[in-house]
Formats: sequence, C-alpha cells, structure tokens
Amino acid sequence: MTDASLPAHPAPPTPEPRLVVDGLRIRHDGRDRFSPDGVTFTLRAGEVVLLMGPSGSGKSTLALALNGLVPHAVPAGMHGSVRVEGIDTADASVAALSEHVGMVFQDADAQIVTGSVLDEVCFGPENLSLPVPVILRRAEAALRRVGLWERRDDNPDILSGGGRQRVAIAAALALDSDILVLDEPTANLDAAGADDVYDALAEIASDGRHTIVLIEHDLDRAVRIVDRVIVIDGDGHPVSDGTPREVLVGCADELHELGVWLPPATEAGRWLRRAGILDAGAALPLTGEELTAALDAIPRERASGLLAVPASASASASASASASASARAIPAAPNAALGHPQPAIVLENVSVTRRRTRIVHDVSLTIGRGEFWAIVGVNGAGKSSLVQTIVGITAPSSGRVRVHGFDPARTDARRLSEHVGFVFQNPEHQFVAHTVFDELAYGLRARRVDEATIERQVTGMLERFGLADAAPVHPFLLSGGQKRRLSVGTALIAGASTLVLDEPTFGQDRERSDELLDLLQTLNRDGTTVVVVTHDLQLAVDHADHLAVMAGGRLVEAGPLDGVLGDEAVLERNGLRMPPLVRAFQAVTTHPEWRRVRRLGQIGDDRAAGDRRADP
Amino acid sequence: MTDPYRSFVRARPRHYLYALNPLAKLVAVLPAMAALLFTRDILTPLLFLMLALAVIVTGARIGRRTALLLGAALPVLIVVFALGFGAWTDPAAALRSTLLPEGLFGLPPDAVVVQVGDYRYTVAALGVGLATSLRLCSILTLSLIAGLTTAGPDLVRSLVQNLRVPYRFGYTALAAYRFVPRFGRDLEQLRAARRVRGAAARRGPAAWAARTVGMVVPLLAGGIRHAERMSFAMDSRAFGASRHRTERYSVPWRARDTAFVVILLLASLALFVVGQR
Repeated sequence: MTDASLPAHPAPPTPEPRLVVDGLRIRHDGRDRFSPDGVTFTLRAGEVVLLMGPSGSGKSTLALALNGLVPHAVPAGMHGSVRVEGIDTADASVAALSEHVGMVFQDADAQIVTGSVLDEVCFGPENLSLPVPVILRRAEAALRRVGLWERRDDNPDILSGGGRQRVAIAAALALDSDILVLDEPTANLDAAGADDVYDALAEIASDGRHTIVLIEHDLDRAVRIVDRVIVIDGDGHPVSDGTPREVLVGCADELHELGVWLPPATEAGRWLRRAGILDAGAALPLTGEELTAALDAIPRERASGLLAVPASASASASASASASASARAIPAAPNAALGHPQPAIVLENVSVTRRRTRIVHDVSLTIGRGEFWAIVGVNGAGKSSLVQTIVGITAPSSGRVRVHGFDPARTDARRLSEHVGFVFQNPEHQFVAHTVFDELAYGLRARRVDEATIERQVTGMLERFGLADAAPVHPFLLSGGQKRRLSVGTALIAGASTLVLDEPTFGQDRERSDELLDLLQTLNRDGTTVVVVTHDLQLAVDHADHLAVMAGGRLVEAGPLDGVLGDEAVLERNGLRMPPLVRAFQAVTTHPEWRRVRRLGQIGDDRAAGDRRADP
Repeated sequence: MTDPYRSFVRARPRHYLYALNPLAKLVAVLPAMAALLFTRDILTPLLFLMLALAVIVTGARIGRRTALLLGAALPVLIVVFALGFGAWTDPAAALRSTLLPEGLFGLPPDAVVVQVGDYRYTVAALGVGLATSLRLCSILTLSLIAGLTTAGPDLVRSLVQNLRVPYRFGYTALAAYRFVPRFGRDLEQLRAARRVRGAAARRGPAAWAARTVGMVVPLLAGGIRHAERMSFAMDSRAFGASRHRTERYSVPWRARDTAFVVILLLASLALFVVGQR
C-alpha cells in the first residue's frame, strides 16, 4: 500500500480494519442537501452492525456507498472516502469490490437473474471467471449455510419469500466477500420468512469472520444478532455509535426525539417509566425477555390500580411501539357509526376460483359499521383475493357479498365508490390525472358535480391529508408517504364510509407504515369502517380492533382482537408470530392482569396518556 | 406464460430436438423462413408447414399443450387468417392473380362466395388469403421447432459460446425475461385499480386510447425502478467484471448439429424446387 495518508509505523496490534468510512457525504444529483453528511466509522472482522436513522437520514444511500454503487452506478456526488480492505471505492469498480462486499437488497425478486437456485448462487463466481470446481464448491457451501442445498434445482420463483431472500444471501456469500451489507432484508417478508432469514444471518454472524452491516426495521429481531449500533439523524449527521445497550438503552430518549425507532421492549420501558410504573433510575429493557423481567420485578403495590383496559377502548391512545413524534393521544370521540343496524360488509360462504384453482374457500364474515379490521396471514393466504370481492374487482365463484346492502359485482363502479373506497398496494397504479388536485377531483367530475362544489370538497380533502401545498404537483412526483395519503384521499372523496386497503404497507419502512395506520385510525375514529390486509401482525395489533386470520384460502379465526390473540397456537400454526410486546406481557408472572395487554395504551392509561400529551 | 427457464431433462432419447444445439435449430430453419417471405403461392408454404410439423412430431415430446397448439390452434389460425386476409385483399387484384387458376371445389376464380352490397368475396380473394395465411403459419411453425424444444438460458449460452455474442447482452436479456410475469401482474393490478376508480366506464376507441396511454406512465415508472434495482443487484455480483465469464454448462456444436442443419437445408431446397416448379 503506498497511500501517503497511512502512518509509516508498523500496523497496530488490533486487526486490520475491514471497512473505513471517513467523513462520508453524499448528495444525489438534483437534491440540495447531503445525506449522509459527515459519517465516519471503522468496522473490523466479526462485527455485526445495525445502521439506524429516520427516513431521509441516507442510510440506504450509505449502504450503496459501501460497495461502490455510489458513486459508480448512482448519479450522486460523494465527498470523503470509503475504504474496503484497503481499497478506495472511488478507484475500484463495483465488480472488483464485489469480491470484498456482498449486498442483499429488500426486494428479492429484483435480485434474481437466473432460473435455478444453484445457477443463481453460481452467477457471481461465474462473473469472476473462477474455475468450475471452485464455483461449485462455493455454491454448495453457501447454499448449505442458508439451508437451501436440497432445493438447488428449483426455480427460485417457487420458493417462499423468505426462501428467495435466503437465495440472495447465499448468492452474496458465494462471492466469498468478508463484508455483507443487507438493506431491509425482511421488509417484504411475513413473520415466518423473517425468522428464516434471521436464522441464516445468526448462523453467518456466529463464525466471527464476516463483518455484517444491517439496515432493519424489525429491531426486536435485529438486536438479537448485532453487537454495535450506528445512528444517523434525519439530516444525515452521525449521532451515536456503540453497543446496542449503550446506544438504544442509554440514549433512548434522545433517539426518540430524533424520530429514530427503538426496539419495542425499550419503547415499552420508556412508556412504563413515564407512567411511574418503572423506576426513573431503572435500566430500560432491550429485549422482550428483559421487559418481562422488568415487569415481574415491579412490586405489587405499585402495580395495583393500573389495571389494563380492553384493547378496543384504548385504541385511541395509539400506543404502539411507535417512536413517531406525531403519535398524538386524541381523546376518543364517540363513534357515530357504531351501532348502525346494517353491517358495512357481509360475506356469506364466499369462494373465489382463479384459473381453475380455488384460492378462497367458503369464507363468511360480517364487518360492522365503524369497526377497524385487520385481515392477516402469510403471503399467498388468499387475503387480497378475498377483499377484492368487496369492491367487485373479483367476482366470487360462489357465495354472497354485500357492501352497504349492494352487490359489488353488479353495481356500477361510480355508485359503489360512494360507499366503499379501495386502496391498492401500489398507489401509483391508481393515479389517473396529471395533478394532485385533478386526481381528487376525478371521481367528482365523473359524477358531474358542479365545479364550485368540487373546488370546496377537494380543498377540504387536500387540507385533511396535508397535501394542500402539493395541489398542482404531478402525483408521481410526490414522496412515498404523500402518494399513499393521496390514494386514501381519492378512495374517500366520493363519500365512501368504508375503506378497504390491500397490503398498504408492503415494501414501506416501518415509519411510513405507522404514519398511514395512524391516519387510518383517525379516519376510523370519525366513523369510517376500515378493513386493512396485512402480513404484519404487529401493525394489526397496534391499530385494529378486530382481527381475521387467513391461511390457505380459509378464514381460520375472526373476531375482536383480544379473543383472536388469545390463541397463540393458531397464529403460530398459520405462519404468524405474536408481536414482541404482546409476547413479553403474556410471559409476566407476578401481575396476571397484565398478561392480556396488547398495546402500551392499555397500561396506566391516565397517567401515561397525560404524560404523552405533554410530550413534544 | 411459458417459463423461459424450463428444463427438458425428462425428454427421452428418441426426442432428438432437445439434444441439438439451439443455434443449429435456428440456423437450419432461418433460410427457409426468409425464402418463404418472398413466396406468393399456396403449395410452397403448405409443404414447409408439413416439414415443420414432421420435424416437431418426430423430434419433440408432444404433451397435451403442444398437441392442442398444433392440432387445434394452428388449423383454426390458418382458416381465420385465410378468411381475414381474403377479405382484406383487393378483389380486382385477386382476380388478376393466378393463385387458383382452376378455382376451388369446382368453382371458377371469379365465383362469388359472399356478397354484401357492392362488395364481393370471390374464390380468388380466398386464394390470396389462404396463401398469405399459410405463409405466416409456416414461418411460425418453423420457429416452433426451436421454440418448443429450447430453454432460454441454453439459447443465450449458445449465442455467447458459439456466436461470440457479448455475454453482457445475453444475460441482460435473460434477466429482462424474468420481468415479463411481473409486468403482467402489474398490468393486471393497474387495470383493476382503474376499474375501481370508474376509469373504465366510458366506451369507444377514444376513451380506450386515453386509458391505454394513461397506463403507460405507471407501468414504465414501475419498470424503470425494477430495472434499476436489478442492475444494482447484478453489478454487486461482479456482472461485467471481465470480458469472459465462466460457463458451467457448455453447449458445444457437435457433428449431429451439422448433420441436422445440412439435412434440413437440403430438404428446404427440395421443397422449394417442388413448390415453385
């Protein structure tokens, strides 16, 4: 190495740094600010690092800089330097760096190039022009590590989401790089898939050879394998760097202020501390087990009088493990829609058949007005097909569907949209106009509403969804969160009082997901019936008051949240995992009345909620 | 949707087409396909249609789908095209053509099959239609010799190994192929979303055109994002690192490939001589 900046004296006794990021600032072309902005850290062999920050902090951009995609493939200006095993990424090609840094991205489908699991894992080493026996040896080792060697001849398309993501990890391992960078590897996966991926990651982390950099929203899983946490704030500046306990527990309040997510147990600890249940001086828990232990250690006399209120009544407190500063505790308004004699949605023995395969089997479900339902299940459980019958996109092959008394399959789309709005997974698919204003006005103009009324209604909707400044903008140019809000607005503009959403949080970060669910909860409090399809049980538990579990096209269980959550075996059997907070409370031994806590809002309601209101 | 990655490991030795180099299957039929473009008669394309069918039936495994395709869809296509092109052709020009100098089924060339007002569908017009239809369908069937028996990756490999096509193009095309089913799903979602918005309510070609144009932007936006992610993923795995990459499967050009090409070229020549007399 001839770099003049390196010290001339012999190498220090500590292992050679694997990855040196020095004063890194990146600005995407066309943006006016840098993010990340001035990040510096050094990683060594065997370190497993969690990179955290609110959206806009540039953590994904930073990940792209670690293997040279920034600046070589992404149009962006880069200052500072990244050195990978002594190589400056600015001077080396992405292909050359791939022998040192393996990347795994969020969307498994966009990473798979070939037609079989084995070919996929061999793809990288083949590009490096290695001899065939070496390639096969590496591919076998990589596939065995992620438990897919037996499925080497399968087309990746027939694997589960978790399986495809493990193929992507094996493909990165086969390059024999010492550094592995994973950007939200489980964001598109259901709980069973995420377990798969974390089992594989824990195995890889255990060998002490690989340096792993992880960006992850599922902190409960992540903190179990990482030994270091680096936090960047919303402006892209580095904030803290240390062990998970030092950073996440030690700086919990500061991180919360910055809008950084905390592990659910730590967030619960903060809540309990503010409610005066946990000692102000006590250490906050990091994992679910620690939370359970902390709860068990609370003396009975202090816990008494803090009885848990039912989940449905506390929904307004929007407790959640959310660190979002926008979560406000609005007193619950009496829900006018509750008690309406006619249910919002009635499904009777509904079956759906597509290409001669029955994908929904005999589902019966009644959804009352003003209720908030979450339909949960693993990917491919038939959830989307079921809710598509509610708006007439799919006609049931047998059975009966009624929405506000109408048969959606036989009702004109405009007429139906006065009663029920549907929000698709990808908001862009729904946009038909060239400005945000026209997008909202579209449904009204189609019914020949006069322009003055349109103006008034659209302006009202724009204000309600925080889009007033964006009225003349093309819908495609909005931010992800704005697009999502606009799609909800368009679904409601014609006066629909029932809203159905199909996987609205798929592929989004946790922060945006929670923002949307908070919005839905506000709508629900004002009387809108909400049905949301999701594979994320945590989101469902945080926000819904009713839960329907689907598996293999059948409705396995449905009813009020508390009842359905009471049966963990059913959830487990159907690929779902109890959210960490619920699990931690269920394990409490000294305060049996807390075992039924589903959300933080249920505990010490008055004091904590009051405190929360005072929270900036 | 056909899986471009399907493998043919279950093919029996009798089904020789699977064992041939994909390029051989293409090279053997390309001259015939090109020459067929310049024919105007009925007999020549008919002979080539028979040849292509004979090759497929003897050399490929005929499953239910292939049987339906060749036994039902193809004849229907020929008839529909023949009637359609016949209606499209200029009746006067058809009469001047000498495609069916003897007429058909005892009817003279100027016999009228159907008359609507001033428009007369003559036997001669049907002859022109049939010639055009057979020309298209024979070319299609010849392409099926390779199409039904070749896996996408093998074609790419043989292009790279035998024809020295840069592997960057080949593998990028293959990766793009994975995009097709995703594109289909996107389009399906998009149509459903539009329907829910009441966007499909207006009828007529103008409304249809407006709807179609309106769907291009979201489809492209999604496609470009996907392509960008895909290229990041491929770059990250050393794609394009050097001029050559290791090929684990070799797709050699063997004697039987040469033999197949020579036999098919000779047969093509013979059929042309017979057909054009």
